[in-house]
Amino acid sequence: AVMQRFLGPLLCLWALRLPAGTGAAARGLDVASYRERVRAMFYHAYEHYLESAFPYDELRPLTCDGQDTWGSFSLTLIDALDTLLILGNVSEFQRVVNVLQEGVDFDIDVNASVFETNIRVVGGLLSAHLLSRKAGVEVEAGWPCSGPLLRMAEEAARKLLPAFQTPTGMPYGTVNLLHGVNPGETPVTCTAGIGTFIVEFATLSHLTGDPVFEDVARKALKALWKNRSDIGLVGNHIDVITAKWVAQDAGIGAGVDSYFEYLVKGAILLQDKELMSMFLEYNKAIKNYTKFDDWYLWVQMYKGTVSMPVFQSLEAYWPGLQSLIGDVDNAMRTFLNYYTVWKQFGGLPEFYNIPQGYTVDKREGYPLRPELIESAMYLYRATRDPTLLELGRDAVESIEKISKVDCGFATIKDLRDHRLDNRMESFFLAETVKYLYLLFDPDNFIHNDGSDFDVVVTPYGECVLNAGGYIFNTEAHPIDPAALHCCRKRKEEQWEVEDLMREFYSRKKTKKFTLKRAPDHGEGENAKEPEDASSEKAGEKRNSKKRSHSLLSCPSQSFNSKLAVLGQVFLDNT
Amino acid sequence: SCSRAKDVTMPAKLPVNFFSTKSPVIDLFRGQLDYADQLRQDSEIVLYFFYAPWCGQSIAAREEIEHVASRLSDQVLFVAVNCWWNQGKCRKQKHFFYFPVIHLYHRSFGPIEYKGPMSAVYIEKFVRRVMTPLLYISSRSKLLDFLSNYEPGVVGFFEFNASPQPPGYLTFFTSALHSLKKDYLGTIRFGVVTDKRVAEEISLVHSGSVYLHRHANTSLVYPKDIMNFTAENICKWALENREMLVRWLRPHGGKSLLLNNELKKGPALLIFIPYNPLAEIHPLLDEITKVALEYHKCNKSQAAEPDLQHLGDSDSPAFGSSVTDARLKFSETFPIAKYPCCNTVVLPQWHSISRTHNVCELCVNQTLGVKPNKVHVPHCNFLEIEAALDSFYLQEHTFFQVISNTIECSNFLSFYSPFSYYTACCRTVNRHFLSFISSEKTIFQTPKVAFSSHGKKDNTQFSIPHIEDRNCFIPDLNISSTNITGLSCRTNKTLNLYLLDSNLFWIYAERLGASRSTHLKEFAAIVDLKEEVHYVLDQNQSLVGPTLENFIKNFSVLYSPLKRHLVDDPSVHFHEQHVLTEVTTNTFHQTVFLSAKNVLLLYYAQWCGFCASLNHIFIQLARLLPPDSFTVARIDVTRNDLPWEFMTDRLPTILFFPHQRKEQSVKFPEDFSVNLPNLLKFILRHSSLSSSEPCTKECLHKESVLQQGHISHLEREIQKLRSEIGALHQAHDQLEAQLSEARREEQRLQQQKHTLEKQHKTLQLHSEQLQAIYDQKNQELLEMAEKLQELADASENLLKENALLRILVASRGGKLQSTDKVKEPLQSELTLSEDNDVSLSTATAASEEKRIDNIDTIETEHSSGNRTE
Repeated sequence: AVMQRFLGPLLCLWALRLPAGTGAAARGLDVASYRERVRAMFYHAYEHYLESAFPYDELRPLTCDGQDTWGSFSLTLIDALDTLLILGNVSEFQRVVNVLQEGVDFDIDVNASVFETNIRVVGGLLSAHLLSRKAGVEVEAGWPCSGPLLRMAEEAARKLLPAFQTPTGMPYGTVNLLHGVNPGETPVTCTAGIGTFIVEFATLSHLTGDPVFEDVARKALKALWKNRSDIGLVGNHIDVITAKWVAQDAGIGAGVDSYFEYLVKGAILLQDKELMSMFLEYNKAIKNYTKFDDWYLWVQMYKGTVSMPVFQSLEAYWPGLQSLIGDVDNAMRTFLNYYTVWKQFGGLPEFYNIPQGYTVDKREGYPLRPELIESAMYLYRATRDPTLLELGRDAVESIEKISKVDCGFATIKDLRDHRLDNRMESFFLAETVKYLYLLFDPDNFIHNDGSDFDVVVTPYGECVLNAGGYIFNTEAHPIDPAALHCCRKRKEEQWEVEDLMREFYSRKKTKKFTLKRAPDHGEGENAKEPEDASSEKAGEKRNSKKRSHSLLSCPSQSFNSKLAVLGQVFLDNT
Repeated sequence: SCSRAKDVTMPAKLPVNFFSTKSPVIDLFRGQLDYADQLRQDSEIVLYFFYAPWCGQSIAAREEIEHVASRLSDQVLFVAVNCWWNQGKCRKQKHFFYFPVIHLYHRSFGPIEYKGPMSAVYIEKFVRRVMTPLLYISSRSKLLDFLSNYEPGVVGFFEFNASPQPPGYLTFFTSALHSLKKDYLGTIRFGVVTDKRVAEEISLVHSGSVYLHRHANTSLVYPKDIMNFTAENICKWALENREMLVRWLRPHGGKSLLLNNELKKGPALLIFIPYNPLAEIHPLLDEITKVALEYHKCNKSQAAEPDLQHLGDSDSPAFGSSVTDARLKFSETFPIAKYPCCNTVVLPQWHSISRTHNVCELCVNQTLGVKPNKVHVPHCNFLEIEAALDSFYLQEHTFFQVISNTIECSNFLSFYSPFSYYTACCRTVNRHFLSFISSEKTIFQTPKVAFSSHGKKDNTQFSIPHIEDRNCFIPDLNISSTNITGLSCRTNKTLNLYLLDSNLFWIYAERLGASRSTHLKEFAAIVDLKEEVHYVLDQNQSLVGPTLENFIKNFSVLYSPLKRHLVDDPSVHFHEQHVLTEVTTNTFHQTVFLSAKNVLLLYYAQWCGFCASLNHIFIQLARLLPPDSFTVARIDVTRNDLPWEFMTDRLPTILFFPHQRKEQSVKFPEDFSVNLPNLLKFILRHSSLSSSEPCTKECLHKESVLQQGHISHLEREIQKLRSEIGALHQAHDQLEAQLSEARREEQRLQQQKHTLEKQHKTLQLHSEQLQAIYDQKNQELLEMAEKLQELADASENLLKENALLRILVASRGGKLQSTDKVKEPLQSELTLSEDNDVSLSTATAASEEKRIDNIDTIETEHSSGNRTE
């Protein structure tokens, strides 16, 4: 103690003499401390949900109780499950898996949104199933091709299948989990409600071996593609019986958003050129008609005239999507625009009128959506730009200051005065917190670049899993793309590999080796492709006319991207 | 309560203190803007910090503002205003798009918005500029100081002896404040001269004239006769005509085209130095400016230059040995041929924070020892100085401990020749002093005096720059050192020069390849956006004037010796399982070309979705191929530059470099899907074929090796199959268990079915009974209805009879009227029959009521029967 008293003043003197600090900007963010704050945010919300709201779908943070919103599935618990693992809480993950297996029942007389049930319940269960081995859950022998969570996901998905029985193949928006489509159900569905199934449904089909899921999802996607306007845009709502567009606003936000997202993610997950070519066509039209000064507006889908000069909170996923396909420059430019809106309000209003620079009447809320943070996470992977961490910092500060209440985190009802609403959506724990944490945790297993992997022996052969490249569904549930190559369909490929390896060790190479073309129109037509050398050459010729490079690739980054950080953007030379 | 809870909302929390109550900053957290305006009356200088309590940037800046406030609180009033709370005055009156916003007031002048970096030193510097927008220049030396600064200077001459305030002075003062509004970095400095004699130095005669100093071009005097003498005009004129020899780049962090616009102008030299705006002197900066000035000095005969020179000379006696002023003495140029053999050597620093250096002046000394007559070295010979340096470095440790301001010299023998002596004189100097020592074309005068005082005879010691990287530098020193002057006009590769504060923008340096481990954040790079190349000044060289000059010269010459810098990712973590070989810029050649294996190389980027989803395929491939003859490698091309010929414009790209034919690399065709069989076929087709060779002993050996590999591969396969069998067994057991459980379940269901069937039967019985009851009741009801019908018929008959009777009575009545008195007893009889009629009708009503009751009971019975069914 004596020592301390003696040293105290000395240290003070020394501190005073230090040269003036160079400032917050130079010191950079303390990433670790923000990561811990995000973790604390998660547990504050999660524990209060368990305490006050479980087994209801959502927590009501102002009244400290629960309510059912999208069904009656303990939705917040399903949605938050994989976030637990990302935060490293293995034991709680295991506990929740058991709780869900016993407690959740889909044989209920409930009208559920087909879209929401798919992305939150099916997606949540699928990702939890695929991550369960990593989380130390004892898995059965057939994993990842079988398992209790997978069966639950399949059951939930089967409940949705009746919605797809329409003349066009586009699904109804709502389905009764017990009775199927209600008589007199409205045939009007939003575009995203039709085109947001391929990631979950194709995964289900690949894991279970039942092609029905992928087939209906593809059929719905193709129906939308067929009904695009002459200028290549899709509207907001369509009649699934008559295929007439009911709402003709075209844009990248609410009602359409995850359709585009799933075209890209589906293309990556399934190595599918057809989906990618659809997206690239849309991308062209979107750039032509809706993009102004790195903002994306709403236009009439047939004429291309601007109908709403509005930025929507939901549109903020776009830069992240662009970065996945290598359009990092444009992504960053748009991101910086969106970031200015956050700086103005401490959140993103549902609608923001761009020319007026203010919120739009009745659309001033911010339900703690994840989209801008999601984009920041993707872009940070690509650029390591500290500006993106700054957005993370701003998000943590805002959410803690504005929406934290005793019982959780409340939706902001009005960004102009920060009034709160009695709701905490399940995506807050599934997405917002997850992306924030991942932004501040660059070494998380989710960011694995292939330097780490697991080898799993299944009855279908040996699989390499968890090698990175996770595809997040639109509710931020990660899907391991390697798992899709693990079940059922593998045998033929394995035999082929065996043959080739034999060839490898034989002294005389007898065969001529011809490569198999990537399936252009889904895997079903794979077998029809003739396998002779001439087809390869012909194919090359045919394709070289259409395009100069593979659709399933990113452009490498330009030289000036080295300097495109801290808000600096570069214009194309073209 | 359930429905009410849906509408529950909560207003935002009430604002609380943002700054601590002990802070020197006044915190108006309720947004009291009116009070903030009142406060402004109290202080000459006021800083407003408008914040939003939720804003991360405001929170980060809070600390910086407090720091500045603690240093300036006696002169400046710091007021923080919460401009977010919607009940507060500030929010109602001001509409900000971002936070925090910093406004400064100099008395009534303002607001001046600060838009610079949110860093205490920069803010403090700016506040100080607002406090004293005009620098009072009292003497010639101060004027010289003022003008020699690298930032443009504007000088106004105002004579104060005539009136209390000379005309135009206020305008000039305001223009200085005004410039801070536009030029928030404060690059233009304003000074005022009141002494006529000082003013004459810059040819200002009339009070009220304004002068803009320029180094490379002619300086200007404000054209009063053309433009009105207003604050805005002066400011505009200065901004338009200022010279930008070397420009600070300070990106503000928001979306900006600053670098785009600057770098598109042509190749740029970016110099990163740590910069403290509050420091009194910036020696390194002065040195860089000097280089810039030389570089841009296209026309040597200038009006302003001799003026200054003259000023410097005439003033020189006044300067003591003060280090700051020493540079003025070094302004004359000497032809390089006359230089004797001397070299300045900077000893390595003990630790990087130290701002002092040990500097030694190393000279070849032929006056000592035996001097052979025939050997005559008129000029400084390259070999001589090389030899001297070598010897010197061997003795270096003896000079390490010198920490004094006096010069200490010692002589030592040449390492190579017994006839040569070297003299080394060392002293410790502040870092900035270095610049003068080592800058070329200067005489090192101070040490010269010192040398002679030490009694040495060789008092013609001049310095030439010493660059540690001697190999490339010294040979071309003679040619190049003379022609940096005005080089910008002579070359067709003109460079624009930029400065960046490495305290704030070091990330750009790292992006260009600056080492991350270095403590000293100094870095220089030439960036050519059009050619998509950049060159980097070797970081082992200290960033001083001569190295910079040399860098510029090397860039400018026709056959530039500079090599395109390839940025390398030093943080490559090797795979735990060592399956894929991670290639970097540095290991590329080694791994791909020098290895005696077939190499499959994947170009990828972590962010590209199409690459990441293929990871598992390449891992599988690498596990499959024999590791002694195949390498599966990959390179992250976002973090690793490669020579042009190996670059690719799409990702992923897969190249195969066959063993012994590495130059004949083949690309995996893009049109084919990347999967295991395709990759194997691709490799098989292109790997070296051995079948055509006649089989010699060597070939047989190869064959056996190959087969050995095959055997081990098959063994691996067997192992795999074994584990697969294991898995299948497990699955089988599991299935068995499930099956038996299912059987049990089936049995249970069967039983359940039986019980249910029984229940069904009893229910059916019950329902039959109920049906019977129902039928019976129905029957009864029908009977009842019939009876009622009868009753109704009867009553109808009665009614008819009644009517008949009435008619009868009426007719009788008529008759009776005629004969009333006679038939009186008959009337009483009639009344009696009417009474009878009434009692009958009540009986009918009662029976109807009864019927309704009956139906009701049947109905309830019927429905209850339904329920039990």
